[in-house]
Amino acid sequence: MLGLLQGFSELFPISSLGHSVILPKLLGWDIHQNDSYFITFLVATHLATALVLLGFFWHDWVRIVRGLGRSLRDREIAPDDTDAKLGWLLVVGTIPAGLLGLLLEHKLRSVFASAQSAAFFLMVNGLLLFAAEALRRRAPQPESGDPDARVARRLSWRDAAGVGTLQATALVPGISRSGVTMGGGLLVGLSNEDAARFAFLLATPIIGAAAALKLPELFGSQGNGVRGPALVGALCAAVTAYLSVRFLMRFFETNRLTPFAAYCLAAGLACSLYFLAV
Amino acid sequence: MPAHLSRRIPKLSAVQRDRLLVSVAVVVGLALIVLAVVYWAEPAKSLPSWLPGHEAGSDHHHVKHGIASFLLGVACLVFAWFRSAGPRPGRAAV
Repeated sequence: MLGLLQGFSELFPISSLGHSVILPKLLGWDIHQNDSYFITFLVATHLATALVLLGFFWHDWVRIVRGLGRSLRDREIAPDDTDAKLGWLLVVGTIPAGLLGLLLEHKLRSVFASAQSAAFFLMVNGLLLFAAEALRRRAPQPESGDPDARVARRLSWRDAAGVGTLQATALVPGISRSGVTMGGGLLVGLSNEDAARFAFLLATPIIGAAAALKLPELFGSQGNGVRGPALVGALCAAVTAYLSVRFLMRFFETNRLTPFAAYCLAAGLACSLYFLAV
Repeated sequence: MPAHLSRRIPKLSAVQRDRLLVSVAVVVGLALIVLAVVYWAEPAKSLPSWLPGHEAGSDHHHVKHGIASFLLGVACLVFAWFRSAGPRPGRAAV
């Protein structure tokens, strides 16, 4: 069940980490997010999600990696080489999030480990999504052509660094990585569809690297007794992640972040009141 | 800066500024990669006391600090690689 939830909530802008902290508390499960077996389980589900994202955007990644190679060989980014520009935008966006994640992950997870704090930040996430839709520079316009090229043309290096840095806020349970990156994309002028695409492309290396860093724990002694459930969880996460990314890419062609903002605000508020009452 | 001081400091041309920037990026990049190796090789107790991650008596290796330092170092070298290519007519450098 946690695997299904993880794959679904990792890509929806509703904070997978927040849900994996709140749900066990609501259902009375004896799971804590800093327990080693739970972290090992999460590593497997994150790896599955990253692989699904990589597979879903495989053709984009092949073009992006080729573009990166071309630009390194030529020592320049040709103005018409949107694949290379998008690749370097993703690198520029990944560096700040990666650095902050490496240095702050443990501290932030320790400080904000409680379900109460996750419920509060889920409300904050809802407000951020509402704010991103309200403060966006322009109304979304139906656009044609290659979506990767549109993103590459519209984003500046500073925009990519800013949107990438926002990802680090998702280290706090309750704040959604895809939510803040989609919101950031809207604020720098992307349409909902392009903001979602950029958010998923930006998420792939971060989720994959975070999982790869902790793979030794999964295959080491810490993974004893967890590998079976982790494998089942990873398969469930892969299925729901694939369905989620497919649904979301279609959803954002014509829709906005507003329904997710309303859900986060309502769920966060309801859970906060419940935790205060019990 | 007061006018009499700014007159005494020679202004760098764009090419000189680029060379200076590339040199700084290469030096900083290499230093960060060396630092990464130090983080990976030495336990926290053996790190210099001024370095983030130093903990007296700790045998923990700061692998993540090393990765962060290595990635920043590589980023500096990549920046120097593009920057040292020089301007080309009609093309945009990084």
